[in-house]
Amino acid sequence: MILFLQSLINGILLGGIYAACAAGFSLAFGVMGIVNLSHGDFVMLGAFVTYWLFVLLGWDPFLTLPITLAILFFLGFFLQKLMLNRLTGVPPIMSYLLTFGLHLVLSGLALRTWTADYRTLNTVYTGLNLIVFGLVLPYSRVATFLFAMVLILGLYFLLYRTEVGRAIRATAQDGEMARLMGVRIFRIYAFTFAVSVAITGLAGSLIAQTFVIYPQMGLPFTITAFCVVVLGGLGYVPGTLFGGLILGIFESLSTTYLTAGLSMALTFFLLLIMLLVRPGGIFGKGILE
Amino acid sequence: MMGIGKRTLVILSLLAVLFAVLPALGLEGYRLRLLSLVFMWIALAGCWNLMSGYTGYIDFGPVTYFGAGAYATALFMIRLDLPFFVSLVLSGILCAFLAFLIGLATLRIRGAYFAIATFAAAEALKQIVLEGDRVVGFEFFGGSHGLTLPVPPPSEFFYYFLLAFTVLVIGISFYLERSKFGYGLRAIRGSEQGAELSGVPTLSLKIKAYILSSSLIGCIGGMEAYWLTYIIPEDVFNVLRTIQMVIMTLLGGMGTIWGPVIGATFLTLVGEFLGTKFVYDYLILLGIVIIIVILLLPRGIVNLVKSKRGGAQ
Repeated sequence: MILFLQSLINGILLGGIYAACAAGFSLAFGVMGIVNLSHGDFVMLGAFVTYWLFVLLGWDPFLTLPITLAILFFLGFFLQKLMLNRLTGVPPIMSYLLTFGLHLVLSGLALRTWTADYRTLNTVYTGLNLIVFGLVLPYSRVATFLFAMVLILGLYFLLYRTEVGRAIRATAQDGEMARLMGVRIFRIYAFTFAVSVAITGLAGSLIAQTFVIYPQMGLPFTITAFCVVVLGGLGYVPGTLFGGLILGIFESLSTTYLTAGLSMALTFFLLLIMLLVRPGGIFGKGILE
Repeated sequence: MMGIGKRTLVILSLLAVLFAVLPALGLEGYRLRLLSLVFMWIALAGCWNLMSGYTGYIDFGPVTYFGAGAYATALFMIRLDLPFFVSLVLSGILCAFLAFLIGLATLRIRGAYFAIATFAAAEALKQIVLEGDRVVGFEFFGGSHGLTLPVPPPSEFFYYFLLAFTVLVIGISFYLERSKFGYGLRAIRGSEQGAELSGVPTLSLKIKAYILSSSLIGCIGGMEAYWLTYIIPEDVFNVLRTIQMVIMTLLGGMGTIWGPVIGATFLTLVGEFLGTKFVYDYLILLGIVIIIVILLLPRGIVNLVKSKRGGAQ
């Protein structure tokens, strides 16, 4: 029983992080129809920003969040302005390939600059746990989870409670109509992608404490993001929270009771079955083509 | 419409004969292998084009069948001591069956969903091959250690094999340009609903095209396993292979006969040049090439030539 509860809690803590990593993916797909294959590389970049600020300047990982936010926001803004905005009106496959090219460039450059070494972040509170009724709750994981929740809530407020958010949602629903109503959609695209990249980078900064950091860590996160958004409904941002939690719990339980390698295969089967049975996600609110 | 005119047929046959006698004229070593590699990619990109180019369904998991074919051939040869050609034919049949199962499920969904589902299928199969042994408890797939195949025949064997496959795939493309099957597939690309309403059995055509393309890719995978003699899951199921098939076809022009031929030839040679000159920066440069191709030639080289020749389309 204690084993089951512990894996359940691990799964929830993991799921929160997955949700934060995937929210930006869902946003970019929902608004611009971009399937961003370089998504995970922004997680990697965020993690490295935190790592270097910690190692070189001794900053606490949580204090590095604003820096990550600023750097990745501008990176996303310019990527959209210079490249992705040119893809409007061409078949969606172009966006898969362009972002895959971007993935090769980003992960390749990271590999050249920072080498393939595996790195970990060790703060003073790494390894300290809160123990409740025999259940182990690592402080850094709990804090990371809480920050991830704040991140998702923040995104929710941005989308549903602000004027910019209204413009973003209008653009997502019907770009041409939004344009007629006076929304400057290309600026909205650039802003949306910047937000998507920035929150993904923030998620990367958060996981820097609990995951191993290396230049090739991106692609697995892209695949995780696929699974999460399909579970939650592709393009439906609030769904990612539940998608993340389900995937986290599913992975954690299957790792405990089966083997870790098989858990990956099972994740893909979950993804396949979801796509076939309920392509709109568990709430059925995803965008269907 | 480009049908197979008499002149084209003559030129193509002459080309095929020319390539067939090249080894006898002293083509060997590195150049022979490079040309074989070009043929392999033409055939692979061509196979991908048969399905995705003509129907517009973007298959992001052709490497499923490349890997499945490679592993099936290797396993038939090692575990059952079957000769190469028998193993290859059996692998092709196995891939066709696998494609039928996966296609039956995934070809009902569209767009990004189909792309993600096929991508997931490839990764799932890779994980099964990688971890299957550990779960079941005895050695079969060889896990991350991979499999070693029997000693292969000389390079000329693979050269002719790949030349034959290239001819076959181009031949099928010509058939698709003219036949009812091909018109059906292109009707699906134009408007699936419209095609369905006009009496085109869309699902069955899509599955047929998917099986055709997948089993051929599986055979080429099996051939590569024998050629390299050593396979590991990370290599034969590498997503980069998928991307290469897609980008080659796209560079040349999707849904055309010559698109994959031009794209594959160009990118294989560029890749070979970059790979030998810039060993460490190869992937970065490949990424830059992809980005440039997408931004500058979104409709492919073949269509660029066509629209120049035919004025504004």
